[in-house]
This record gives sequence, C-alpha cells and structure tokens, in this order.
Amino acid sequence: MVDLSCEDVHKKYRIRKPADAAQTRARWIPRLWSRWPAGSEFWALRGVNFKVECGEALGIIGPNGAGKTTVLKLLSRITAPTKGRIRVRGRLAALIEVSAGFHNELTGRENIYLSGSILGMSRPEISRKLDSIVEFSGLREFLEVPVKRYSTGMYLRLGFAIAAHLEPDILLLDEVLAVGDLAFQAKCQERIAQLRQSGVTLVVISHDLGAVERLCDRVLLLQHGALIDDGRPKDVIARYVTLPIAQAGSGNWSSAGKPAACTGLSFRSGIHGRDAIRTGDPLIARVDYEARERVTGVTFNLLFWWQSGYLCAQLSTALDGAGITLEAGKGYVEFSCPTLAMQPGMYRVDASLARGSSVIDQHERCSILRVDPGKVVLGDFYMPHTWQLVPERLGVLG
Amino acid sequence: MHPSPLRLASSRPSPDDDRPEEVIGPPAFSGVNLLAGLFKLASYKDLIYTLTLVRLQVRYKQSILGWIWAVAQPLALMLAYTLIFSVLGRIPSEGVPYPAFTLAALLPWTVFSSSVNNATGGMVHFGYLLTKVYFPREIIPFTYVLAALFDFVVQLVVLIGILLYYHVHLTIRILYIIPVMFCVALFSAGIALLLSAWQVHFRDVGVAMPLSLQVWMLASPVVYPLRSVPAGLRRIYLLNPLAGLVENFRRAMIPGLALDWGLLAVSALLSAAGFLLCYAVFKHLDSTLADVI
Repeated sequence: MVDLSCEDVHKKYRIRKPADAAQTRARWIPRLWSRWPAGSEFWALRGVNFKVECGEALGIIGPNGAGKTTVLKLLSRITAPTKGRIRVRGRLAALIEVSAGFHNELTGRENIYLSGSILGMSRPEISRKLDSIVEFSGLREFLEVPVKRYSTGMYLRLGFAIAAHLEPDILLLDEVLAVGDLAFQAKCQERIAQLRQSGVTLVVISHDLGAVERLCDRVLLLQHGALIDDGRPKDVIARYVTLPIAQAGSGNWSSAGKPAACTGLSFRSGIHGRDAIRTGDPLIARVDYEARERVTGVTFNLLFWWQSGYLCAQLSTALDGAGITLEAGKGYVEFSCPTLAMQPGMYRVDASLARGSSVIDQHERCSILRVDPGKVVLGDFYMPHTWQLVPERLGVLG
Repeated sequence: MHPSPLRLASSRPSPDDDRPEEVIGPPAFSGVNLLAGLFKLASYKDLIYTLTLVRLQVRYKQSILGWIWAVAQPLALMLAYTLIFSVLGRIPSEGVPYPAFTLAALLPWTVFSSSVNNATGGMVHFGYLLTKVYFPREIIPFTYVLAALFDFVVQLVVLIGILLYYHVHLTIRILYIIPVMFCVALFSAGIALLLSAWQVHFRDVGVAMPLSLQVWMLASPVVYPLRSVPAGLRRIYLLNPLAGLVENFRRAMIPGLALDWGLLAVSALLSAAGFLLCYAVFKHLDSTLADVI
C-alpha cells in the first residue's frame, strides 16, 4: 500500500532581480494575471520520482540547495508543482517549523488553539488534548502568559508539544528532531519512536546523518534537484559523504593565490584490508597539500565536529612544537592514531593549514568522517583500556 | 511519563483501507476547481473560526480603549461628516437628522472599507505562515471580512441607539439589512481576495489603498442620498455595487423610505459576479503565493 508518491515532479522558481523592476513597470497589466514575478528561472526539482509505503520511514538527504525543502513543501501542498503529480493517501501533517503558527500577542493557551487549528486539529480535539499538550510542554504555569514573553526554548517546546499531539497517517519532518534541552529532545525522540511504532508513515529531511540512519528504513539522496540514489540508509549515506559536493562544503580545494594549500583529505582504517573505520581500530588521516613556494613554520590541523555542532577532537602537527618546512611541490601529511576513540556516527571535518598564528588555507566542513561500530561501549568516547583480575588470597595477605 | 493520547498499532487503518487519495498537480484553472475550492472551506470551519477570533482578540491587545475603538471609528466619522455636510453645507437627509442619516450608511461602508483595507496587507503579513503550513489561502482574507462583520454587529447596536435617540421609529423592515449585508460581505470578500493576492506581487496596492478607499466612499451614497446623483450619471454610478447596497441599507433602517428592489437586485448580481471574478483570479494566483512572498 503506497501512502505517498511523486511522479515526475518538477518545480520551477523565479528569482526576482532589482533590474527586473523596470520591466515590471513597463508591462504591469499582464502581470496582474501572472503567478510569477519577472525574473530568471530556477529549477529546484527536475523530475523526481519516488513512492513511500504505508508505515515506512523515509529520509531525504543531500547538500544545501539540492531541493529537499522543496520536496517537503510540495508534499505538504504549501506550493504547487510546476509539472508532475503527487498522490497522498491519508491525513498528512507537515512540521516545517513547529512554532510557525504562533501569534506573539496571544497567551500560551490561546496559541495552542491557534497553532492546533492551523496544523489541522478541530477545536473539540484541541480541548480534549489541552491537558496533555500542556503536560508535554511542561509550561503549565506560563499558560496564561503571552508567548512574546517566552524564551526561545519555551516557544519551541510549546510548538513541539502541539505537534506531538497530531494524529497523522503521514508525518513530514524538517530538521525538527532536536529542539529544546537534552531532556526535551529525548522526549521528542521518544514521541517520534512511538509514532513509528503505531504505524505512521514518516518522511524526514535532515542534515543529521546519524539521526537519519537511526530513524529511517530507506533514504533518498538529492542533488541539484534530481534523485541520485535511493536505498538502504547505510549505503545512501555512504554515497552522500563521498559526493564531491558534500566534501567540498563551503570551501573548494583550489590553491590559487595561496603560498600553500590543502588539496585533499581522506581517511582509512589502520588495519590493512579493512574498508570501514571502526571505534577502537587504528585510524589514518591523510591531508594532501600543494606548495607554490618554500614555506616555513607550517602546521596542519584537522578538527572533528559532532553533528550537534560541538567540537569533538583535533589532530594537529603543532603539538610537537616546531613548524614544518614545505618545499615547493605536492605531498601529503599522514596522521596515525593507534586507537580511534570516537563513537560510531558522522563527524564533520575542518582542515586548515597555518603558519604561526595566521591561517594560510582553511576548509570548513570539507569532509565527513564516518565511524562504524567497533568496540561497543557506552558514553561519548571509547577509552582504550586493559584489565586484570586480582583475587584476594588470604594466605599471602595474612 | 506524559499521558499522551497515543494511538495503538491496531488503530492504524488496515492496509486495504479506502482512505481518499488526494492528487496534487500543477495549478489548473477551471470552474469546477473554483466551486470545489469553496466547498472545501467547510472542512476548515474551525480554523476560520479560530483565526477570526484571533483577529478580534489581537486587535485591541495593549490598547486602553479596547473594544470602544470598534464603535469610535464610525461615530467619529459621523460627527465629522455632520459638521461638514449638515452644518457647513446643506445636504438633504431624507427627513431624518443628518447624524442618523450618515451613520446608517457608514455601517455597511465600514464593513467594506475595513475588510479590504486590513485584508490587503493580510497575505503578506501572514507570509511566514503561508511558507510553513498549508491551508486554503482564501481563509486569510475571509477572516478579515468576518471580523469586520463582527464589529458591524456591535456598531449596529449603537446605530439603533442613535435612531431611538432621534425618535426614529424602528420597524420590522430593518430585517431587510440581512440580505443587504450578505451582499456587502460577498463583495467585500471578493475585493479583499483580489487585493490581498496582488499585494503579494505589488506592494503598490497597499500604498494606494487609503486614497482609493476615500475616492470609493465619495462615489457611494454615504454622505449624500442617492437621489442627489444626477439622473444622467446614474447608470455609471450604479455600476458600483456598494452604491445600491449602501442606499438600500439606509432605506431599510429609516422608515418612510421604500426599498429599491430593482436596485438591490442589480447590486446583488454585481456583487456575486464581482466575487466570482475576484475568486477566480485569486485561485489562479494562490498556488504560487508562498513562492513569491
């Protein structure tokens, strides 16, 4: 049974430019019947096809601007496709921004009714669930306070509490898996897990690849408005992290105009013949460089970030004091870590090349390190350890 | 644990259920879609109600006079027009004191002008919502019209008070205002739809609004009676459906004047046609409003 399907869906946007104002002024009468401002065309989606089975959890990943949000907006009817058909079976709820429906001047209680109705609940339904919503948000004592006095966290909590009480057949999520503090995040994730168990069809777009892998049965990879992969989460994510565009991130690898630059970054397991990088195994990180001239006092740095945005770890050549001298030409620096302490997951990596305190070349989010389960422990890190059993022997002690 | 009303796995419709399938395609324009759009609004009645309520709740929050403003506005206009047109210049007022004469016309006019004036900016104002959530877009302009109608009811009480003060006898004929106001609301909704969608593309619409409304009011028999319009101009003058509606509203409120049924029929027809035309343009534009805002 198919709950959602996209058949050859195209979406075109027009981007208005200041230069188009004069043209609009000259020909304003036909524009009164036009759906678009004057401007240049931009195809956000070009022929996307997929189906989502009833009860399936589908993740959509891809670099910024790939068309993920557009897919969500089309599925939720916020905007219409330019070409193609979308079929939806059942009650659909889209959480693109949980607190979008709030009105600042209204109280928490009034906003529950407002936002609830906007998300498609009937008033009797909201009245019935009011207590439970308030309980979930943990904002009972602020219920009669205008939400403009709320903190950002309270705002999001109330928004998610309302959304959590929708009873959709199909739920669309846009990066809303993580709102509020850790306790509230856990509550949200628990609620999503409950919805999954009750058989709700789920479509999630997210940059949190770890969460996508945990949550989804199937993942789509979008790039430049086209579907380039569709399959098991692990395989599709692996494909995504090796995409040139995902690796390039914000920076490119060009070395133009710099005395020296990083030209590539790769990771491999320190165990020969093993293709996955696992917790507890040795890790080898290789940074390629190119120097246009002789450069002295150079240091190489790699920063590893959690998906949550916190800095996790660093590899640096600066720890040994003296900088490196690079002769003109190409080469690489290889970092060897005898034991990878990082837990399974996806880590964004920044690479940089510095001389003294000035950065010569920097690539933020230039790659993703994927760590697979190896040594399984709880906590944020694997601490390499050994142990020995020491039985207490009475005879010796006495 | 929170006592959330969880559905059990068994409550999920079985795979062979016949939940209706909805097909979303490129914007297509047809009379059938137009009517279907109107009928679909019935399933959004709770949202329409809530949004209208919010409109009324929010308007006078953090103001001292609050609700009094709803009444103060037409009353202030009434006093101003009485001063200008009755004391300074002399305008015939159909045998009733001028304040009562003009207030009776200001009420339907205010419904139109405040609906259109507020709704025009409405779509842009709610842009943040249109890009995040789906609901039929026409609901936003409609709620402004409903809020104006609510104010109208409050103002009507004041009008009746003023008529009683001037010893004008109220008769059962005032019930004729119901069909008249229905037409006023329909026409207001049409113009509100059209302008709110155009405002998304051209902010000029909102800028031109105060001036246009002023001219439109002078082109309606609000401060003068319809019969002072020269007969030669009548034909063009009555193309404005508000002219016939405002005039008939006054005739229903003030005894001694018969309703002009022919005029009412023409105005009703023009209002309905105007509404459908505006709704058609709106439905043509609404599928991409979220992209343009």
